[in-house]
Amino acid sequence: MSGVTLSNVQKRFGAVEVIHGVDLTVDDGEFVVFVGPSGCGKSTLLRMIAGLEDISGGEISIGGTTVNDVEPADRGIAMVFQSYALYPHMTVEQNLSFGLRMNGKPRDDIARRVTKAASILQIEPLLARRPKQLSGGQRQRVAIGRAIVREPDVFLFDEPLSNLDAELRVQMRVEIARLHKELGTTMIYVTHDQTEAMTLADKIVVLRDGRVEQVGAPLDLYDDPANRFVAGFVGSPRMNFMAAKVVDTTPGSVTIETDNHGSARLTLPVRQAFQTGDAVTLGIRPEHFGGPDGDGTRLTVNVDVAEHLGATSFVYANMATGEQLIIEREQSRSEMGKTELTITIPPARAYLFDSAGDRIR
Amino acid sequence: MRATTRTAYGFLTPYLLIFAAFWVWPIIYSFYLSFLSTRVQPWTFNPTFNWGRLIIDPAFFNAFKNTMIILVIQVPVMIALATLLAVLLNSHLLKARGIMRFAFFAPVVVGEVAYAAVFRLMFQADFGVINKLLALVGVAPISWSSNPTAAMALIITAVTWRWVGYNAIIILSGLQSIPEDVYEAATLDKVSKTRQFFFITLPLLRPIILVCVVLSVIGTMQLFAEPFLITNRGGPGGATETLGLFLYRQGFTVLNFGYASAVAYTIAAIAIVISVINFWLGRDPK
Ligand SMILES: Nc1ncnc2c1ncn2[C@@H]1O[C@H](COP(=O)(O)OP(=O)(O)O)[C@@H](O)[C@H]1O
Ligand SMILES: [Mg+2]
Repeated sequence: MSGVTLSNVQKRFGAVEVIHGVDLTVDDGEFVVFVGPSGCGKSTLLRMIAGLEDISGGEISIGGTTVNDVEPADRGIAMVFQSYALYPHMTVEQNLSFGLRMNGKPRDDIARRVTKAASILQIEPLLARRPKQLSGGQRQRVAIGRAIVREPDVFLFDEPLSNLDAELRVQMRVEIARLHKELGTTMIYVTHDQTEAMTLADKIVVLRDGRVEQVGAPLDLYDDPANRFVAGFVGSPRMNFMAAKVVDTTPGSVTIETDNHGSARLTLPVRQAFQTGDAVTLGIRPEHFGGPDGDGTRLTVNVDVAEHLGATSFVYANMATGEQLIIEREQSRSEMGKTELTITIPPARAYLFDSAGDRIR
Repeated sequence: MRATTRTAYGFLTPYLLIFAAFWVWPIIYSFYLSFLSTRVQPWTFNPTFNWGRLIIDPAFFNAFKNTMIILVIQVPVMIALATLLAVLLNSHLLKARGIMRFAFFAPVVVGEVAYAAVFRLMFQADFGVINKLLALVGVAPISWSSNPTAAMALIITAVTWRWVGYNAIIILSGLQSIPEDVYEAATLDKVSKTRQFFFITLPLLRPIILVCVVLSVIGTMQLFAEPFLITNRGGPGGATETLGLFLYRQGFTVLNFGYASAVAYTIAAIAIVISVINFWLGRDPK
């Protein structure tokens, strides 16, 4: 078992730089999730750790050893691909044992590893089948099994669940979490799905355009996002953002007024100094709005669409300027059919961002 | 019959008529012809006349033997070369892949007569470039047109040159359908490139290689143009006479249509038998 360290890792495809100097430490036994929108470089970063892509700059070390020039197979990693990448002409058992057989492992050792992996993943009844004869979820298990038999120091997963349907995805997510608990091995997991990231990770790495935006425990990112991008990416439905202006400042606090939503005013404690007229963005999560009698600034919005899910409802309020608010309401059956909704913004739950998107504290 | 269906058949009729007249009818009629004695007019029904001759005719067996020799050597060599060529043409390291692919495919497009003429020149015993090149490495001039073994080698070389690119392109399409990440998974499994080729690429190409083998077998069974044009009608002395050439001689030189028909049906039957054996040997092991 071992940790992974990235220092100033860069990747260029020809003249295009897609990873711009990533620094990261993955501790031994940690479950780290790389999350970010499609095309932000998650797979590239993972493939560089695996050795499937060359490193254009910087250094990657696994278990304390620099692996920049180490062959992929000798890095002590195992990877699960998004498309499973099973050997189509081999049975499940052959898929699991192929690498071991090719490397001349003793027969009883191979049998032991295959049996163990098959039992962990509950795929014993499938051992004689070909990938074609398996469902998506079963293929994914085999792909994970093929990683397990290598008994690696680090598992790498590249969006392993994205080809599965919603129900199976939840099920496999739980299984991967269980697997991590059972094996205790370092795992690096790539996904664009923040729910997967929140539920699986010990530590989330939020990536955007080849840069690390923030690293932290799931709830730390939720509670204390470093910038507007992370705030918008972590949490579902996403955080609401409202354009606002600074209308008054005192040492230790600032008063802002929203551009839309009836120019609601809000005074927030901040350390940073501001000038009247500065443009800022107010952020608040859908689940943090208060009811009409709650603390804080009162706001009345027009309801466009309301989705009632039973215990909770999501109310969508759109402004002509394109600003949209999503409001989560609990116990809201009495409000069904309303066209206007009065809510409050509790100052303790509000976030402020400057015009560059950085968090104002 | 619905009106639309009738219209469709209306449009198909000209083609179907031609198909019936020039495909279906000759196939049926030649089967019938193989039971006729056609050496002298009038033709008479005599089932054992051609078929009886066929099983004892040394000329037929010579052609059969030559065809089998070509088949057994040329088809495996060509398919192996085509597979290697396909792997090369698929390589990311290769520059100008499009042009290279076309270049290797091009021989199929060249007319048979033109290509045969070039091969005759290249393999000419006295001034051909091949013997000149062999002389450079100290090999005595080979008489390609009068040495039976050399003539056979020439035919095999020519056919291979002509069809190897064609088969390589077919195999290339199979290569391209193998996902890249399967190889990446194998790389992570510490499987060398050579072993990846033998344990992943080849097994996955098996169905497509099988199709190439069967197509090549059928082609070789009908081999005609090369022995006719390059080695002077199966020369020297029938050493490169193939079944196709033998059939042509019987049908269009001697005008013995009954015997030619029996030979034609025999060629087809042998091709079918070999193809079935190929498919059986190459079937998906369960
Ligand atoms: N082989 C490649 N050649 C050129 N550009 C690539 C290659 N692979 C990825 N990229 C580019 O690198 C960026 C990151 O890609 P990727 O790591 O696959 O993103 P993600 O997995 O986060 O969706 C993208 O802009 C993509 O177009
Ligand atoms: Mg990706």
